[in-house]
Amino acid sequence: MKKNDNGLSLVLLRGWAALRQPLIAIVFGLLIGAIIIVACGESPLMVYAEMFQKSFIKPYYLFSTLVRSTPVIICAMAVGISWRAGYINLGVEGQMITGAFISTVVALFMPGPSFLVAIVAWVLGMAAGAAYALIPAILTWKFNVSMVITTLMMNYVASYITSYFVTYPLKDTAGDGLSIQTPEIAEALRLPRLSSTTTFNAGFIIAIAVVVLILFISRKTIFGYESKMGGFNPTFAQYGGTKQVKVMMITMALAGAIACVAGNAEVFGLKYRYTDGMLSTTSYAWTGLQSALIAGLDPIGMTVVAIFLSGLQIGGSAIQRSMGIPLEIANIIQCCITLFVSVKITIRFVKKSKAAAKEGGKQA
Amino acid sequence: MNSAYIASIINATLRSTTPILLAALGSAICSRVGVFNVALEAQMLIATFTSIAVNYFTGSALLSVVVGVASGALIGAIVAVLQVKYKAADMVVGTALNLLTTASTTFLLYLVFDRRGSLIDERLVSLTKINLPVIKDIPFVGRVLENLTFIDYICYIIAIALFIYLFKTVSGFRDLSVGINKTAAESLGTKATAIQMRMVILSGALCGLGGVALAMGQVIMFTENMTSGRGFIAMAAASLGMSHPLLTIVSSLFFGLCQSIGLALQNVIKSQLTTAIPYIATIIALVVFSKRNKKN
Repeated sequence: MKKNDNGLSLVLLRGWAALRQPLIAIVFGLLIGAIIIVACGESPLMVYAEMFQKSFIKPYYLFSTLVRSTPVIICAMAVGISWRAGYINLGVEGQMITGAFISTVVALFMPGPSFLVAIVAWVLGMAAGAAYALIPAILTWKFNVSMVITTLMMNYVASYITSYFVTYPLKDTAGDGLSIQTPEIAEALRLPRLSSTTTFNAGFIIAIAVVVLILFISRKTIFGYESKMGGFNPTFAQYGGTKQVKVMMITMALAGAIACVAGNAEVFGLKYRYTDGMLSTTSYAWTGLQSALIAGLDPIGMTVVAIFLSGLQIGGSAIQRSMGIPLEIANIIQCCITLFVSVKITIRFVKKSKAAAKEGGKQA
Repeated sequence: MNSAYIASIINATLRSTTPILLAALGSAICSRVGVFNVALEAQMLIATFTSIAVNYFTGSALLSVVVGVASGALIGAIVAVLQVKYKAADMVVGTALNLLTTASTTFLLYLVFDRRGSLIDERLVSLTKINLPVIKDIPFVGRVLENLTFIDYICYIIAIALFIYLFKTVSGFRDLSVGINKTAAESLGTKATAIQMRMVILSGALCGLGGVALAMGQVIMFTENMTSGRGFIAMAAASLGMSHPLLTIVSSLFFGLCQSIGLALQNVIKSQLTTAIPYIATIIALVVFSKRNKKN
């Protein structure tokens, strides 16, 4: 009995150790939000009550939160695996746009039975996302070019070029022609809705499946171990016989393919077409990135934080409608949370790399 | 292609270079003291907003410039405290600040001006356009230098001043030593952390001036996220210029040229495709020059 108690308290203690920093940061972030709300001449308690009512508590809004969190969770996974392996991939947005756009084009134009079209659309899209992520990886490998800059530049390139295609050759000419978007994809290709009154759809299940996949890859496969070691301490990993180029290529390709799934969940599960800017103005990739940073790149933590941040955004648009506080309050709060967490993350990284260095020394 | 057209392209190049050069200098001095500053974008964007906001309410161009520069320096100060003093991870701080600035400027645009997207107003005053008395009458040169603002000139002076400071003065030498080996510099009694923080704040001020040039130079307006990656292009420019102020002028001019060519091609090719040119050019330039670096 006593042993059991100890085990339980140990689990609780470890859980608290992992959650403490994000939770403190979230409290501080909400405090800064409260100061801004006071400056806007509103009562923070009332605004927050309204925000949480209309994001987590009322079922309709809870479903909206889950729908919004779908691409965010998947993007967080794409960010997480690349950052964990030590590759600063800021290009998840571009990879998501490229992949989802290719999937949409295939879905629109490929003839044949719908299950085949669906498979080809998703596979080609994921291949395109992976290829788009491999470009900066190859440039880093061959020319030692900073991945921070290339991945970020490629977001703009993807966004502008798809914008061209949606505005001219692929534009839906039916209707008023004012919206810049492609025609709708066939009904058989859409992800099924899981609720009759809301837009909650099977995309969320795909997101959870991606999380499980990432958990499996990072904890149970050799590749997951090698990529984690590369992130911890490249020299040590190399010493242990890890082929770093191969790990980098697989990591980035995987991130790109997952990013495509995020975009596809939005296109095939919610909008049923590609609309100009649908994946960039919503900043799914950046919210995913911040979820990953706040949760310290832990897959389950990232999922929880992604749902929380998406809820803030859903609540943010609700208070913009009812109270006149701009919805960006949600983004401001989430950036502050990231900043508060950032100071702690470094300390942890330094500790880890010191520990890794020690271990390496012993082995040598 | 006649000479008037070429002159107008060079003119546009000079104007597009200014914000990039100033931010690139900011990036260069940070790397010279061993700080990787990712928040260049934030430092620029905040200044585009504050300068236009002050401009709107006071109608004073000078005050707009001052406030713009100060706001950039303020973001620089946040970077300095979090990244240098508390040793937070550079990528995390930079990315969070970039996103925070995008969100807060959009937030304030809606809250203060009740606008979405952009702020253009006829009461906004422009910076004085300088048309030098004799030079403006010289055929080609006059067109090249037509209607430039004082920031378009001062950015080159700042670059030269930074070069002289860093490479020809004792105190600049001390700053460089911090970037080469912080521990060694500290052991000689150099206040390394203070120097790093000072440089990051100066970088914020430079980016702020760049942001002012962007908002009050060619056009007088604020648009949501109007820097659109220029901070990162500037980072590329600084890296191509090997963080040397004078070489950075050359690399920044290249990116300015890419932007003006992109603008000029808009008559021929759809704007969505031409807007992508500077970003593609940045990647290609990094690849081409890194190869050369490796061979040396």
